[in-house]
Amino acid sequence: MAEGKAILYDASRCSACKGCQVACKCWNLLPSPMEKNTQEWNGSMQCPPDLNHRTRLIITFDEADNGKKYGINWAFGRRACMHCTDAACVMACPSGCLYHDEETGMVSFDRDKCIGCKYCAMACPFDVPRHIGGGGLFSGDAKINKCTGCIDRIKNGRAPACVTTCQPGALQFGDREDMLSIAKERVELLKAKGFESAQVYGEEQVGGTHVLHVLKYPLEQYELPENPQVSPLIGVMNWMKPILGVGAVALVGGLGISFLTGVGYKRHEMHYDEVNHDIIDVETGEVVRHIDKEAGER
Amino acid sequence: MTGHYCDFKNADVILTSGSNNLENHPVSSKWVQRALDKGATWIVVDPRFTRTAAQADIYCPIRSGTDIAFYGGMINYIIENDLWQHEYVEHYTNATFIMEDGYEFDPETGLFSGWDDAKGAYDKHTWHYAVEQETEWDTSESGSYAWVKGKGVPKFTPPKVQVARKDPTMQNPMCVWQLMKKHYSRYTIDKVCEICGMDAETLEQVYAAYASTGAPEKSGTILYALGQTQHTYGTNNTRIMSLVQLILGNAGIAGGGLNALRGEPNVQGATDMAMLVFDFPGYLRWPNVSESPSLRKWCESQTYYGGYYTNKPKFMVSALKEWFGENATVDNDYCYDLLPKVPANGGDYTTMGTFHLMDSGVMKGYFAWGQNPVVSDPNSAFNRRAMSKLEWLVVADWVETATASFWRAPDMTPEDIQTEVYFLPAALIYEKMGTIANSGRWLQWRYKAADPVGEARPDYEIADMLWSKIVELYKAEGGPSAESITNVKWDYYIDGKIDPRAVAWGFNGYNVEGTDFASGKVDLLPAFASLKADGSTSCAIWIYGGYYNNADAPLDPAEQPVGRRGHDDPGELGLYPQWAFSWPANRRIIYNRASADANGKPWNPDRVLVEWDGKEWATRNDVPDFVFQTTNADGTTTPVAPNDNAFFMKPEQHANFISYGLADAALPEHYEPFETPMKENLLNARLNSPCVKFGDHESVKKGDVETYPIVATTYSITEHWQTGAQTRMCPALDEISPKQFIEMSPELAQEKGIGNGDDVRVFNNRGSVVLKALVTRRIVPLEVNGQTIHEVGMIHHWDWTNRYSSDDNVVNDLTPNVGDPNSFIPEFKAFLVDVEKA
Amino acid sequence: MAKRYIQRHSLQTRITHGLVMGSCVWLMISGLFVFVPYFANIGSGGLVQFMRISHRVVGCIFILAPIVSAILAPKGFKKFLAKYFAKWTPQDKEFMKKFVPYMLGPKRVHMPDQDEVKSGQRIADGMLIIGGIMMAISGVVLWLGMSVFHAPAGVVTVMRFIHDLFFLVLVVFVVAHAYLGAGVFQPYRRTKQLMFGNGQVAESDALYHWGFWAREELEKGENVVER
Repeated sequence: MAEGKAILYDASRCSACKGCQVACKCWNLLPSPMEKNTQEWNGSMQCPPDLNHRTRLIITFDEADNGKKYGINWAFGRRACMHCTDAACVMACPSGCLYHDEETGMVSFDRDKCIGCKYCAMACPFDVPRHIGGGGLFSGDAKINKCTGCIDRIKNGRAPACVTTCQPGALQFGDREDMLSIAKERVELLKAKGFESAQVYGEEQVGGTHVLHVLKYPLEQYELPENPQVSPLIGVMNWMKPILGVGAVALVGGLGISFLTGVGYKRHEMHYDEVNHDIIDVETGEVVRHIDKEAGER
Repeated sequence: MTGHYCDFKNADVILTSGSNNLENHPVSSKWVQRALDKGATWIVVDPRFTRTAAQADIYCPIRSGTDIAFYGGMINYIIENDLWQHEYVEHYTNATFIMEDGYEFDPETGLFSGWDDAKGAYDKHTWHYAVEQETEWDTSESGSYAWVKGKGVPKFTPPKVQVARKDPTMQNPMCVWQLMKKHYSRYTIDKVCEICGMDAETLEQVYAAYASTGAPEKSGTILYALGQTQHTYGTNNTRIMSLVQLILGNAGIAGGGLNALRGEPNVQGATDMAMLVFDFPGYLRWPNVSESPSLRKWCESQTYYGGYYTNKPKFMVSALKEWFGENATVDNDYCYDLLPKVPANGGDYTTMGTFHLMDSGVMKGYFAWGQNPVVSDPNSAFNRRAMSKLEWLVVADWVETATASFWRAPDMTPEDIQTEVYFLPAALIYEKMGTIANSGRWLQWRYKAADPVGEARPDYEIADMLWSKIVELYKAEGGPSAESITNVKWDYYIDGKIDPRAVAWGFNGYNVEGTDFASGKVDLLPAFASLKADGSTSCAIWIYGGYYNNADAPLDPAEQPVGRRGHDDPGELGLYPQWAFSWPANRRIIYNRASADANGKPWNPDRVLVEWDGKEWATRNDVPDFVFQTTNADGTTTPVAPNDNAFFMKPEQHANFISYGLADAALPEHYEPFETPMKENLLNARLNSPCVKFGDHESVKKGDVETYPIVATTYSITEHWQTGAQTRMCPALDEISPKQFIEMSPELAQEKGIGNGDDVRVFNNRGSVVLKALVTRRIVPLEVNGQTIHEVGMIHHWDWTNRYSSDDNVVNDLTPNVGDPNSFIPEFKAFLVDVEKA
Repeated sequence: MAKRYIQRHSLQTRITHGLVMGSCVWLMISGLFVFVPYFANIGSGGLVQFMRISHRVVGCIFILAPIVSAILAPKGFKKFLAKYFAKWTPQDKEFMKKFVPYMLGPKRVHMPDQDEVKSGQRIADGMLIIGGIMMAISGVVLWLGMSVFHAPAGVVTVMRFIHDLFFLVLVVFVVAHAYLGAGVFQPYRRTKQLMFGNGQVAESDALYHWGFWAREELEKGENVVER
């Protein structure tokens, strides 16, 4: 079971003010577009519509029928790194840039170590990591960008920036165990209030995530996968490195032995008499072999 | 607010109506959630299903502008089902008082008694109580009002104490209770639904949930904002909510009250400071030509015969001492005559009226100081045209606002505009120190965090520079009413620089003897109770008395009540009396006498504000808002046993159901918005309020339902602030809400061939704007009087000064420049438009 | 007596092979900078970025060189394919059986005659060709799918797996190929001439390595050079 710290997002308390989005940008010095009209209108309050290279966190909006005459089921969700215990991005990262902080369980990264391969982005079951730069065919300077859990704040005894700014208390931060029990209690309350689909998300998924969600409405109203999985290929690929190492050593060793057995090898120079079909040892002049063409020899 | 945001957590039922509190007052969400955690029910009544509604327990739609019908129906429901708080109503309100003969409301005319058609106003003498007896103040040397005869006190005739006739059984047909009952008996569930558009089932659910707080131990709170106030009858909207709180016994208790949610930029402070034509700082009345042309007349017309406002002369004389310093003496009526008087047409000088005056060429110069009227005021295209006739315009702000650049609005021709525009760069709130007043009346000291950028200066420095130059010119050259300028006390300097701490001394009040600002010696008063009417005390705004009263450290705000940071919470009710200072007198919940029954026993033992233990008011978690003890000559105190005087800011010390205080109604009565989809008012014969302000001005161009069948309302969103001058400059805020949109139902969108995300033209007689469509089921068409009424909602944060977008549409080009006769607030929240795909 | 040589590889073949070999080696080295965490952290990042960009540029050479060559000489390309898909003779099978003992005792173990391409060569080169094609396909998908297009994460993960797997395969066969082809293995001395020299093989060596082919060529004589 995952231990350490966790961020709890309680969708049933969220007012979708997006203060967390802005706090995240301010603390992490992430810029917003500075050119005119870069932000398109997509007919939704969800802005920007998805995570991007300079946005680590968005609040999602989804409207569904509530079966009543008035109102709707308006689900506010949180889309950002889930800080998985079995973090696919960490497994996929070849350079050691992404790491799992032992003490807190947060998945953070060392920007200097990022080589821009984007394997993390491809491995993440939540489609979270984004990269700054490196868009072109021959630009290799992409650098990962994703929620770090504000590990710099946590290590200094403060809660993540998004949590600190949250007014309704929809975001809380603390020991994962405590967050989980708050979440479960809340789900019970929501169920008692008639929200039958209320659930905790992140307790078991991918080894237990360090971002826990209390969901008020059915899962499909939130941009969260029903069954997030780390591709088994990622594990297999991580075995290939030692296999390659061992294999290479064995191969070189084998070839070494082969080489030694061949040292001092000599053979007589041969000549082929194409008229008589004889192979003649040039040094001795003897016919070593006759090719019997009539018998079908070649 | 009568309480504070923290007090929401004590409520059993929260009713949000005319407010979108989660979005526009995010801090409120914290305290609402705490109430919900304790099992509270949360109701949201709003034309739109807002982000606030999304988290509430009950949502009820309503047609914009029909709140009085909604609340009137609630009062009727409460009375009919006997859900009102009997003891509270009988003891603490004027329900038992008997009205003057002739008081009447006639549904056949839609008018109260006393209407004068020629004047277009009410003669309100029948709106008073029938007087049983008149007595005099005891001004003898040992009397309670001996101060009136004191040396230095201006001469005035004290008011006669009017003892009203009462009927404790509340059976007399002319008693307030019976009149109110009769008045609202017309507001049946069916009638309310026909007007407001919701279905009866939902309405009854809301009424039942909220009326449950009529149980003595229960509390209900109402959160409102501009959705209630910005109507041609906005003041009556707020009054009818007060009526509901009184009838349910929810005023003056923890978790109750009527809570106007105000914003960040010191709206509360601005009203405290009287940024209104008719007001004087501290909610006194500014001298005017008709009722208060002299100090004597002011004292006689303003001083109440009973309650705490018997002290008004003390407040006014102390204020005059602060305005005019040593020049103010009893012999010159404390320079009262040097104050300008509000003329008979004072209303013409309110916000909307100033543009009429500009348009007609009367007003030639204009200061827009931290205000952006060409975007935020109704019919703003007219405002822009009017401003182009100005000779000069001064704008003090921290960015070049639309007002500062009105001449380059898309509909303006710069070469034709002769107005000289001056821009004074002002410091941000973080770049200056001073006091901020929040919604809960807390005065908090803010320290400067950074230096202003470039040439920007704090407002008080700009004002000081202007003032010094003006005084210099008047001294050198004279001019009309020169002495009104040259006699003013202006010594708010510390180390030779203008300083808000010195201003704070003047606000708090001090003994004139023993105070010398120049030397930094100030004999600060402990509280406003020490103010005198004899010129010995000076205080610019009496309600702030006590907020900066530590004379030992006059230069250190942290050592003053305003700078306190204590977390103590006696009673665990979120009162936090050691945090900052809440005016008046650090009271956190006003009218708190009403939190206990007639014997002084709290209605709810878990929510004790004050409690009488049989001998004295022993438990005082909050500062009592009533006379709980008297101080004897020797300095000892004598407890005052519980009585019914729970509302001691009223002359009769009882809360008012019927009141003569407002211009347009003795009891709130439903009228339709100035522009309404209705052909008739279903509750009385008059469609609009008889007292609508400026409705006949030519610029208004009233639209009718045939041409403009869609009800429109405007609002803010959490991502942007007001006219957006500040927030549109922040890339991070532009990013999270990049476009100005109009919300509409899928039904209307389909009817008009509009898809989500399309450009939509919205228009009426006053203007036309193009906005982005947000088609959502969060808005439903309403069945109103058998007809389907569509409503649209627009945000209004954009203009041509955008840095990150080219959207130069000003939504307030559409809103009507008509208003309420009491507050002169415009009707932003309900008007008519039509829409089409752009 | 003048010595006889058989012209085994054309200049185009040798150039193509050289380009592919050079790029392959460079790709393997530069690929390590993504594959092995230790390499990924060498230097201040500039080196790694250089390697990653060069991986793409050189990858283009690796892919384009054989394609261009095939277009320039379509007949040769057909013949080339035919050799690799030739039917296996009993000698071919015997060769494979004896391969390991031979590698560990070339003085004692003797190989049967072979056609133009030995059976072992067919397997080894075949693996190089298949590996190269798989690397090319997966590499191009990874490259384009993560820069100009947004390939589905599943596709990318599979492609990564393929790229990693065939890297393993290639390492084995490239090293083995180099060991033999460059003549590090003593019986194979002088074979490097075939790709890095004039493309000719001495009569005696030809008879040793590819008996059937050598005799056929010597009988035909058109590719035989005497000097």
